[in-house]
Amino acid sequence: MSVNVGNLDAIAVDARQRISAAADEATLNQLRIDLLGKKGVLTGALRGLGSLPADQRSAAGARANALKTEIDQRLNARRQELEQNRLQGLADSEWVDVTFIPEAAVSRGHLHPLTQALTEITAIFSRLGYEVALGPEVEDDYHNFQALNIPEGHPARDEWDSFYLAQGGWLLRTHTSPVQIRFMEAHQPPIRIIAPGPVYRHEATDAGHESQFHQVEGLLVEEDIRMSDLVGTIEYFSRSMFGAERRIRISGDHFPFTEPSIGAAVSCGICQGTGCGSCKGGWLEIMGAGMVHPQVLRNGRIDPERYSGFAFGMGLDRIAMLKYNIADIRRLRESDVRFLRQF
Amino acid sequence: MVVSGNWLNEYVDVPKDLTALSERLTLSGTEVERIQVQEVDFDGVVVAEIKSLRPLTGSTKNQIATVTTGDGIADVVTGAWNIVPGNRVPYAIPGSRLGDRRIETKIFLGVASAGMLCSAVELGLGDDAAGILVLDEGAEPGTNVRDLYPPDTIFHLEVKSNRPDLLAHLGIAREIATLFRIPLRRPAMRDSARGTTGRLATIEAPEGCRRFVGKLITGVRVGPSPVWMQARLRAVGIRPISNVVDITNYVMLESGQPMHAFDHSRLAQGRVIVRRARQGEQLECLDGQTRVLSSEAMVVADSERAQAVAGIIGGTASSVTTRTTDVLLEAATWEPRRIRATARALGLRTEASLRFEKGLSPALSLPAVDRAASLLKELAGGNASTGADVYPDPLRPARIVLTLERLNRVLGVEVPTPQAEDILKRLGFVVDRSNSQLTVTPPEFRLDCALPEDVIEEVGRIYGYGHIPSTLPGSRRPLRDIYRAQDADERVREILVGLGFDEAVTYPLTDRRHALDVRLPAAASTPALIQNPVAEDRDALRVSLVPGLLQALALNARLDQPGLGLFEIGTGFWPQAASTAPIREVRLLGIVRHVPPALAGNAPAELRAVEAAVRLVAERVGGRTVDVRQSEGLGFHPGRTAAMLAQGTEVGMAGEVHPAVLTGLDLAGRAIAAEIILTGVVGDESYTPKQSPVPRYPGVRRDLTVVIRGKIPSNDLVQVIRQLGGYTLRDISMLSEYQGPQLGAGARSLSFRLQYQADDRTLTNEEVSTVQQRIIDGLKQRFDAEVRS
Ligand SMILES: [Zn+2]
Repeated sequence: MSVNVGNLDAIAVDARQRISAAADEATLNQLRIDLLGKKGVLTGALRGLGSLPADQRSAAGARANALKTEIDQRLNARRQELEQNRLQGLADSEWVDVTFIPEAAVSRGHLHPLTQALTEITAIFSRLGYEVALGPEVEDDYHNFQALNIPEGHPARDEWDSFYLAQGGWLLRTHTSPVQIRFMEAHQPPIRIIAPGPVYRHEATDAGHESQFHQVEGLLVEEDIRMSDLVGTIEYFSRSMFGAERRIRISGDHFPFTEPSIGAAVSCGICQGTGCGSCKGGWLEIMGAGMVHPQVLRNGRIDPERYSGFAFGMGLDRIAMLKYNIADIRRLRESDVRFLRQF
Repeated sequence: MVVSGNWLNEYVDVPKDLTALSERLTLSGTEVERIQVQEVDFDGVVVAEIKSLRPLTGSTKNQIATVTTGDGIADVVTGAWNIVPGNRVPYAIPGSRLGDRRIETKIFLGVASAGMLCSAVELGLGDDAAGILVLDEGAEPGTNVRDLYPPDTIFHLEVKSNRPDLLAHLGIAREIATLFRIPLRRPAMRDSARGTTGRLATIEAPEGCRRFVGKLITGVRVGPSPVWMQARLRAVGIRPISNVVDITNYVMLESGQPMHAFDHSRLAQGRVIVRRARQGEQLECLDGQTRVLSSEAMVVADSERAQAVAGIIGGTASSVTTRTTDVLLEAATWEPRRIRATARALGLRTEASLRFEKGLSPALSLPAVDRAASLLKELAGGNASTGADVYPDPLRPARIVLTLERLNRVLGVEVPTPQAEDILKRLGFVVDRSNSQLTVTPPEFRLDCALPEDVIEEVGRIYGYGHIPSTLPGSRRPLRDIYRAQDADERVREILVGLGFDEAVTYPLTDRRHALDVRLPAAASTPALIQNPVAEDRDALRVSLVPGLLQALALNARLDQPGLGLFEIGTGFWPQAASTAPIREVRLLGIVRHVPPALAGNAPAELRAVEAAVRLVAERVGGRTVDVRQSEGLGFHPGRTAAMLAQGTEVGMAGEVHPAVLTGLDLAGRAIAAEIILTGVVGDESYTPKQSPVPRYPGVRRDLTVVIRGKIPSNDLVQVIRQLGGYTLRDISMLSEYQGPQLGAGARSLSFRLQYQADDRTLTNEEVSTVQQRIIDGLKQRFDAEVRS
């Protein structure tokens, strides 16, 4: 092919047209190869410069180099233009319906409401310096009853009807209170523990009662512990658990292992304490408590002259029911996922 | 305890503000469960006796009752069917008024109905609308029903078990008088003749009877008791019977001391003996039943035979009848445990036994007999004759010394000293104060007060626990005893929830027939049985969590929730021989996954996912590697079960559940189950990861695909690969398994990814290829495998 300036002009016109017509990146890449590549049109033209007369050669050379720069710039410019257009059109070209979230996108199970309530209770008492202690579910009569001032034949035993193992002398603990005794047997004060776990009562089940449920026991034994410390602890717990606006009510009660004994209620969150169908005159009973009976301290090998303390016990099921508005205690152990997945 | 406001008013001016009264009583420890205001808003309702009943022609719902009010008879159409001839019922005569309603003669299907018979609801006397209110036999025909049920306020109270003294109107009145600081009026008691002789009563079994007071009353005219007494008894749910019986009940409900009245003439030799029953001794009781007694029971007998089950129920033979003239009154103090045991054995709880079980003070019995004698004289013309008071070991009053400083310190609030003293005195305590020290003697009817703490409680509950401020205890405590078991549980739960499993809590008490459906080889081979189950399907302690979790899967599948994954952390109860405890309580983690029938082919993949979940838990929470071995286990699929080992010890199993177990549960499809001894994988201490150096030189990754035939576990391949890989082979991961027609029957292709790494240099391709080739040759040779790299 003969090379001349007119030829270069034709290449330039053709290149400008093709570059501005290129609609995508791939076409531009191909154009770069076709025009500027080793076997490209302009490269071929430059190679042909050697056959020109010397006087024309330098002018044509300059022209060809200028064209090469121009094509390179035009290719880059067109690329930028195309990129600009693409970014401007993203809303249409890459639109996704973000409101369609398939169920399987993230698979996550649910913690049981009893677990969630206990985690919260544990966290509240940890802030007050309590540790978690555990005890056996199969107990002996001594720890479940006698050491707690409930001798054989004591009328209070009726309140704690027990399941007995066929293997004599053993029963399923009727409350978490034996953990108090076991912990005191092994540790001297100061003591601050909560003891959660399953308990068993030999009674028929209904919406409010289960023969198998969970309790959380608390025990604090130090020097110079007063009832005001117990009241303050109950108030701190109740308002942390149920809401800072709640109030507590302390009434007289009776447990053989505490003296004085009290019952604690929290104001109803539905009626704010004025009384409704969900509460008893505006109050919801949440726990029994009291100052540890001196004989119980002695049974735990602790000197009641030097130390005093308080203990409390609450039904974890009841706390969870109040917290999550669960009407029937039996729902908690049915494992119906339509229930479990609400938590 | 049911208490009548009219009756209470005899001893104290009951505050009119019932809300305040209820609140104060509840806060002091006697919970007011319900207050029922008995308003009498009717006129012209009288007692009628049903003479006969006949059908109303043309009606299946109503019948015709012929009634009499003593003079003349009338026909009344009624829709009630709970009545029989002889019943006494409230009868609203024509012209009478029930609230705003006038009652007249009405024609039903051609029959004139003269007024109507009334239910408890229609009269405002109760909640029972089911039928006509059937009155007791003491209700004389013609009596105005207003006299039987005067306007009253009925209190339903929950009395704590340590306060049997409050199972009495006088006791409740004393509480009210103390709480409101108003006067208490004790009942008038005419001093009766106190002739005491040991001949009337003897105690042969003092282990069962603390005190026995008896008194002979002669010349009694048995008849109905006065209307006011009947009304009070009715108000609290006691049926009037006769003046003698009513008086014994009245005294019990006034003072708390149960009593019994014998027909003296029916007692052989006219005297009673307190003794143990003879084994198998029989007694026909007042409720018409003949009971067989054990030698543990106490009886009141005459010289020939038992006449009453002590403290529980009297016998028919010596009961008071209309012919009775001489009455032997009994007020005794029975040993509570024996009463409780006998009442349980007989399956019979009475007003008397409920009180004796709680431990009554022996101080109550003598005044009760005197009070009853005085009422008998007044209301039945009886004269007190000889008496007996057998009281071998009299009560010694407790003396409790308490400083005011201690009182205030234990309560955490300053109670004004005069107020503390006043509270105790009103409750019946004798208080002796010198400076800051109180010497206190509890009233003799209070056996529950023996320690300073008991006295502090009395002051606290009356003063009001609401006055105690809220404080938090604080003192310097040594650092010790870090309990981390709960923390580990929490992390296990979070991991499994993150993997999509839902947490379940199932019953520890289970059905012994299913307790062993699936269990670990290490578990007990029999469950611990419950001696006294409440239900047949809750008669054993669970050995494994898996059967309960599988039942939960079956329940959910029935509820159209198939394909679930559930887990639970809980106790397995493994009976063990010869140890300090009969049961080893094992903290278990159970995981189950249901595979619906349509997806049964996914069962192997789901099993592997569960295995991987267990390994993840062990690695993250316990920092332990769990090794897996092909195995077999009870209730597991024989070809699809893995034993899981941590630090060389078997800690659990994972596998597909045996199809036969699923059939038993009526669960379609397949199920995967794993059970892990939690302490075996997470340890006692919470695991903290420790950093090791990140590689400084790039490693080389090579994949390897092995085709093998037969039941060769990939563990074996991994072992060989590891041996031949040497120092530079750092990690082997399993990628995929393939089976298909191209490979031929029984053949599987397994892909592994091998990670090569050196700490001191960049590995060359040649170096790695040499090792890789050594591995390929080894696998070919050992397993007759085809290997592609
Ligand atoms: Zn409410």
